[in-house]
Amino acid sequence: MNSIYVGVDIGSVSINIIAIDANNELIFKLYRRNTGQPVEIVKEALNELKKNLKDMQEVAGVGVTGSGRKLIGYILGADIIKNEITAHAAATTYYYPETGTIFEIGGQDSKLIIVNNGIPVDFAMNTVCAAGTGSFLDHQALRLGVPIEEFGALALKARRDVRIAGRCTVFAESDMISKQQYGFTKPEIIKGLCRALVRNYMNNLVRGRKLSGKYIFQGGVAANIGIKAAFEEELSHEVIIPEHYDVMGAIGIAMLVKEEIESKGIKTSFRGFNITRDNFVTSSFICEGCANECEVIKVESSTEVIAMTGDRCGKWSDSVENQISYRQETFAR
Amino acid sequence: MKISFPYMGPTLIYAKLLELLGHDIVMPNRPSRKTIELGVKHSPEFACFPFKVLMGTYLEMMGKGIDTIVTSGGHGPCRAGYYGELHKKILSSLGYDLDFIIFDEPKRDFKRFFQYVKRLKADSSWFHVARVVYIVYRMSKSIDKIEKIVTTRRAYVSNKSLFNRTWQNILEDYSRIRTLKDISEVEKKALKKINKFNYQLPPEDERIRIGIIGEIYVVMEPSVNNNIEEIINYFGAEVERSQYLSQYIDETIMPFKGKEVKEIFRKADDYLEIIIGGHARQSVGHIVDYKERGFDGIIHLKPFGCLPELITQSMLDKISLDLDIPILSLSIDEQTAQANLMTRIEAFIDFIKYQKASKKERMVVNE
Repeated sequence: MNSIYVGVDIGSVSINIIAIDANNELIFKLYRRNTGQPVEIVKEALNELKKNLKDMQEVAGVGVTGSGRKLIGYILGADIIKNEITAHAAATTYYYPETGTIFEIGGQDSKLIIVNNGIPVDFAMNTVCAAGTGSFLDHQALRLGVPIEEFGALALKARRDVRIAGRCTVFAESDMISKQQYGFTKPEIIKGLCRALVRNYMNNLVRGRKLSGKYIFQGGVAANIGIKAAFEEELSHEVIIPEHYDVMGAIGIAMLVKEEIESKGIKTSFRGFNITRDNFVTSSFICEGCANECEVIKVESSTEVIAMTGDRCGKWSDSVENQISYRQETFAR
Repeated sequence: MKISFPYMGPTLIYAKLLELLGHDIVMPNRPSRKTIELGVKHSPEFACFPFKVLMGTYLEMMGKGIDTIVTSGGHGPCRAGYYGELHKKILSSLGYDLDFIIFDEPKRDFKRFFQYVKRLKADSSWFHVARVVYIVYRMSKSIDKIEKIVTTRRAYVSNKSLFNRTWQNILEDYSRIRTLKDISEVEKKALKKINKFNYQLPPEDERIRIGIIGEIYVVMEPSVNNNIEEIINYFGAEVERSQYLSQYIDETIMPFKGKEVKEIFRKADDYLEIIIGGHARQSVGHIVDYKERGFDGIIHLKPFGCLPELITQSMLDKISLDLDIPILSLSIDEQTAQANLMTRIEAFIDFIKYQKASKKERMVVNE
């Protein structure tokens, strides 16, 4: 049997599922918008993957990352549930061992990862709000009546520069409206927005850090060549966009799971493709057993309770037989 | 007089102090989401987070017949210095008139400090007061000693939820203490309980030690900082924090114990020569101290709206670079999302692991 490893990235805007083989070659890739029903999307994607599998190919490990990793991780029976920062760094340092700086801009997160000799050493993540991420651009594209796919290319057609206040989505919007009235064209406004986003990124994340090349730009927003151009202008240096820029998180988590499975020689806890025919229900309640008042989350399939999590003392999570215990998932306020 | 007090860290110690002095006390609730919501609702928006949590804590206790609240004042030019007065005013505007006994550093206004002590002393003899203070002081030393073992060991024991329950039981044992002799017995019992857990200590160069620094309330109170020490332990790292109650007592009350604080102050000298309020100077000093003691990373906790720690935060990039130690700064308030916190802490510890592993590899190659 040939082993393949599945990586799932449950982001706020998109859900990405990929599979790699034992040589880290990408053999399956799917990028879907997250319409708010991640479980359904993941099920569809699994069916798709199953159709694409060749004879003798077998899922040997599953890893889940992204802000929605917890729930999907339990449903899939993932071997690793891990944060997206580590996952992104893993994929990029594999493809570009000489990376110095990774810019990752997704739907609602933006991240900066500093790499030294192939080892990720420092990171920053947007703290205050989502201004300067994909959702912001999405919203502005909609307002300008430009499809998001064409948004970036349009910025390159701008002939003049216009400065848009980009600190806050709401203020950016009112600034855009007034600049439109001054007679600036759509491409110019869009270019202004791209530069505002990059300026924001530099102020909030880079904050005076010394950056060094190679510069790698990934995440959904890397599709926008207007932003790439704005980064290059800011840095006066070339910025590289990886071939699979939109699913780097998923690739990274698949690589991490592969490493884990291979080095420990363990069998995957993946529940198998049958889960696409099952129904899953999640519910939550506040445990009143003690003063901690943990919020306990319960995941059920049609036949059994799969997981209970969120309790600090183990009262609920220990009650589920065969629950995979993920170290990171046992806290509540 | 029916007394209560804020909830912070090993709260059972303040309870024990007042209880042994013969007062009728009401134990405050551990801050919950409800406490925080209540506090946020009745606090000025720009007050820092600890103010809001305390506000909520007090409001939750109204109706239990409390007439006096004992609390501490601020440190240097920090807004916490007038928080007691402001809490009193807000409670009074809501129809609750209470007495506040606010302990500032004795050296600031010794006369008032002494008057407050006399009020709490009530009918006890001075001999009894000295004895009680000593018992409580020793108790806090003992708890802190055990807790440091807990936050080291918990990184390695496999059944962490059982370990947590055991730690809760130990604290309950402490709350039953009445004499000095009880303390050593409870401590012995506690060590026995902890030692029952098997654990495998990794080789020295694979151990990861994290130091927590920052504002005292968010550093010391787990219900407010999302149980950050537990989270760090669960990701397989040991943890120590810059503030422990016994240390706080040493700093502020004990007459001949200021030496260690002075040493920490001295270590901050390269970055911060004066006291700018709160525990900012200690925070910086502790980073240097942790580095000297071979720690691998620092997590800085800043309550949203805290002015002294905002200044500390702006120095962190430089300190991190100078000392070659990773620092993660987290802002804590009612908006803090657990998922976000976990993401950052896990990535932070992952990166430290990678760096340690690569350093080790390079050493092997060089040999």
